[in-house]
Amino acid sequence: MLTDWIVAAAEHAGLAAQATSIPGVAQRTGATTYYLEVHPVASGGPGAPRPVFSLYPTPGDVDVIIASEFLEAGRTLELDYASPERTTLVASTHRLFAIGERTVLGDGVFPDARLREAARALTRRTVAFDALAVARAAGSEVNAVLLGAFAATGAVPIPDSAYEAAIRDGVAAERNLAGFKAGRETVAVGTSLDPSPPAARPWPERRAERVAALGRRGGTFLDLCTAAEAGLDPAVHATVGEALARLIDYQDRRYAERCLALVRDVAALGGGPRLTERFARRLAVWATYEDAIRVADLKTRRARFERIRTEQGAPPGATLVVTDYLKPDLDEIYGILPAVIARPIARWAERRWPEGRPTIGQHVRTTTVTGFLRVWLLARLRVLRPRSLRAEREWALIERWRAAVRAAAALDTDLAVEIVETATIVRGYGEVRRRLAATFVRLLDEIAAPAIDRDRAAGGDYARSRALVAEARRLVLTDENGIEAAVALAARPA
Amino acid sequence: MERSFAAEVKQLALGEGEILRGEGILAITKALLQSGVSYVGGYPGAPVSHLLDVMADANEALLAPMGVYFDASANEAAAAALLGASINYPMRGAVTWKSVVGTNVAADALSNLASAGVIGGALIVVGEDYGAGASVIQERTHAFALKSSLLLFDPRPELQNLARMVEEAFAMSEASNLPAVISLRIRTAHMRGTMVCRDNVRPAVGMRDRLRAPAFDYARLSHPPSTYAQEAQKFEQRLPAARRFIAQRRLNEIIPGDRPDVGIVLQGGLTPTTLRALALLGLADPYGGSRIPLLVLNVIHPLVPDEVAAFIAGKERVLVIEEGMPAFIEQELKALAYERGLGVRIHGKDLVAVQGEYVPEVVLGAIARFMGGEAEGQLAALTAHAGRARAILRAPLPKRPPAFCTGCPERPVFSALKIAQRELGETHVAADIGCHAFATLPPFNMGNTILGYGMGLASASAVAPAFERRVVSILGDGGFWHSGLTAGVANAVFNQQDSVLVILENGYTSATGQQANPSTGKNPRGQVVRMSIAETVKSLGVSWLRVVNPYRVGDTLKTIREAMTTAAGGLKVIIARAECQLERQRRVRPQIAAQLKAGVRVEAPRFGVDPDVCTGDKSCMRFNGCPSLTLGESGDPLREDPVARVDQSCVGCGLCGEVAHAAVLCPSFYEARVVHNPSPWERVIARVRGRLIGWLQAA
Repeated sequence: MLTDWIVAAAEHAGLAAQATSIPGVAQRTGATTYYLEVHPVASGGPGAPRPVFSLYPTPGDVDVIIASEFLEAGRTLELDYASPERTTLVASTHRLFAIGERTVLGDGVFPDARLREAARALTRRTVAFDALAVARAAGSEVNAVLLGAFAATGAVPIPDSAYEAAIRDGVAAERNLAGFKAGRETVAVGTSLDPSPPAARPWPERRAERVAALGRRGGTFLDLCTAAEAGLDPAVHATVGEALARLIDYQDRRYAERCLALVRDVAALGGGPRLTERFARRLAVWATYEDAIRVADLKTRRARFERIRTEQGAPPGATLVVTDYLKPDLDEIYGILPAVIARPIARWAERRWPEGRPTIGQHVRTTTVTGFLRVWLLARLRVLRPRSLRAEREWALIERWRAAVRAAAALDTDLAVEIVETATIVRGYGEVRRRLAATFVRLLDEIAAPAIDRDRAAGGDYARSRALVAEARRLVLTDENGIEAAVALAARPA
Repeated sequence: MERSFAAEVKQLALGEGEILRGEGILAITKALLQSGVSYVGGYPGAPVSHLLDVMADANEALLAPMGVYFDASANEAAAAALLGASINYPMRGAVTWKSVVGTNVAADALSNLASAGVIGGALIVVGEDYGAGASVIQERTHAFALKSSLLLFDPRPELQNLARMVEEAFAMSEASNLPAVISLRIRTAHMRGTMVCRDNVRPAVGMRDRLRAPAFDYARLSHPPSTYAQEAQKFEQRLPAARRFIAQRRLNEIIPGDRPDVGIVLQGGLTPTTLRALALLGLADPYGGSRIPLLVLNVIHPLVPDEVAAFIAGKERVLVIEEGMPAFIEQELKALAYERGLGVRIHGKDLVAVQGEYVPEVVLGAIARFMGGEAEGQLAALTAHAGRARAILRAPLPKRPPAFCTGCPERPVFSALKIAQRELGETHVAADIGCHAFATLPPFNMGNTILGYGMGLASASAVAPAFERRVVSILGDGGFWHSGLTAGVANAVFNQQDSVLVILENGYTSATGQQANPSTGKNPRGQVVRMSIAETVKSLGVSWLRVVNPYRVGDTLKTIREAMTTAAGGLKVIIARAECQLERQRRVRPQIAAQLKAGVRVEAPRFGVDPDVCTGDKSCMRFNGCPSLTLGESGDPLREDPVARVDQSCVGCGLCGEVAHAAVLCPSFYEARVVHNPSPWERVIARVRGRLIGWLQAA
């Protein structure tokens, strides 16, 4: 579309142009590359020599690159097409994540900052902004916005009227003209390659929001927060506050106090605010593990239904039917029961089905009264949680982690932080979580512990242990079977 | 079909002096009609599918009234055999396919055709996807031209020249009795330009002017002893006639230049790339004028020795720019220079890359090396920045391989297969050609071999009896009807192969642009056909046959499990049947838009992920890979890692929920079904429910 517009605009302006593309299989969700050339000298009429156009771009010989997605902009740079003396880059900064970025357990997104840095270094001029957002705001399409931005750069001698004429020749002219104008204006106002820093709102402001969100329990939260802040470094107030809000929301005041005591304990180890902050953050997430009760609670909240309505763009008057795909396995079900009752059941079930426990699959219509009630009643079982088998097991694991953190803190603060961060490995539901929990234990036992012992025996610093634990965490969060590679790495002589 | 070609069809009817605007492939198509073809056929494949698509759309309005027959050939062999009409009868015909793979399939018929020789012009338009696209082996069609004595055109890419070469190819085919091949690179097929048209020519023999008597001539049968005489004719009469034609019609072009000492001989298709490289090195102007003399070969087989010798004679050094291996042209030039004692040094693969597509940087480097001195300086200036971006980016950018479309019915089958293999252990998967070959890429990484179109099951024949578990073969409906029916299913049943075959029946030959195939229910001419894969497979003696709805991942999984573990021997066939989602959306979207506009009740399902329930382990993506299932911010102040998110492109196929269910992943997925224009009763119910639920939420 974009290519067709530019070719048509060139023709309107009396310039010869030629375009080609490689669609075919690339259309199936891959990236399609279009290449076009415009001869900057007006045609001398019939009989005059015609320019010979190339069907390919040549690296270093490209005047303009238009990228409708930021990673693809980076790809043209990676392939040397842009040159600092010559190339204008017009790029949308929004991201469509590649499959390799999406399947990573942790955060596999290619760092945006490096793309920006490359654009800055390798182009004469870069016009980069979120064209998708601009298009949505203008009720238009990304291509039209980018055409406007391209026109605004003036990199090719085609007047605006020619672009507008080209758009009018096609379909949805008004929508596209709106996008074209929005793109032009965005460039006129000015764009920057520096990412706008996320607006970090001050903690007191956010605290007030949490108070409101917690409703009746807001007061409890505020009390606890004030008490906590008194004894802790201001650098950790926001995180500890968020943690307390989360814990109260999850269970109750007592539960939050129990966790706060553990945070204070770590703060007292003298590792400084960074260790405390990281520990509080990871502890709060772990202690609010997603058992069936928690899932039921989250699934039945008013805010959830409001969010879904907005996200689905349901117009007023339309009705909404939400069906939840729930499939707890046996562990998750008996996990709710008090440990004394559930322990023998678990022993039997784990012997009976050592590989994967039976599941109870159900599609619950949470927007019907009976469907809602089923899930809502489950959420009411919160009172059972502190004594449940699941709590017993999660807390046993948390205690192992805490012990490792404390031991490490006695040796080296940075090492302790690395140990704290291993908590992010434990995530997911059912089988996935059990596997990742086992991975976590192996990381502590087979990688961290021996490495620390070795460093201690060597009497030096703990740089190797830190590096090993960090690398093991990275491997485990990149690939499901990363633990094997991590263990092998740790076993290699230093 | 992927696109409507109504505008293109109109252009095919243009007359004398009118201007056609469009892609290279359209110019070729128009030139066929200007040449008076009696029949056209072929098998789709990039980049020539559009020729067939346009012809199909033009059939009723243009071809049939002219008496031109359009054949939707079952495969390339059938298309090549179609040209048999030109052996005995003065009928011009053209067929098309993707090369080199299609030419391989066609090879048997082609050999016979070339041996017998033609009296009506026979033209094959092959799409060369060399270096660019998918499912193609890096081999040259040139080898077929050499071994079977086919005329091979590699025209300079400019619409008028493409059209001229089509017309010349028919005449040359008739002058030499040899079939002609026009090879089109993918960018040439898709380049946009203009050409001046001529009137279409109604064929002398065709559906409206029929033949009255059969022509019998044993000498025209490719059967001994005729074949001995035919072999002699090829080299004594036909190829010499072709050479005379090339010289007389000046099919090859010379750009004179002003350097007497050097010259470049190139394939016509590489002309723009070569001229651009020369221009960047200061050796050519933007209008195609070059300082280095160029011999542009629009015809690369046969070469005309006298013409080539005249060009290279007296030069010190000549560079041959010839894409692909082996370097047939370079070898022939070297032999010629040696034979005639021309004393010219001939360069080629010693300076240009041996293999791979000849993109500008390759040709640029070669010419700079060939010319040396100033040219090398120019090149250095142009590439001074090379590698800097990679240094800044530090790591290779994540690849964006092609993948199944959003809502594709083939993806769930591979989700189920992946879950099944997790349960039952990994097994050998024989993949095939088609969209389903995307399963070999992340996140599925499934498929151990690809042996050609429709060859999946056949390629498992020796692995199956030697493998601990049952092996699985994949076949699309396109591949099934192309050759999988005989080479795959009949072969496996005949040999009592104990394995599992999954046939993905989505109703179209989708990878090449949703062309109709026998499973579609009608042929490209719009005639209703009733051909059923299930019935066909049954009639071949397959007794274990299941048809599944792939979107029910649980059911598909159960069926796969059963196929993998049943005591029943022999071939077990699972047909996963659901319409190609691209095609479905194309049909359904306008309907829904119209219904919404009319105020009719419409249900719009879409899927979502609760960001606070998702823990961000991304298991769902490793079993799925749907483009609409992507990453989002958790919105959680304490969790930094992204979580799963379903974006607006979701078509509501339900796979993500089904996978989360079948693989027991997590409770994060939900279906949100927006009911537009609900009935009054629905409104009341919704209001009552909302009240009651709201009351509970407040409690």
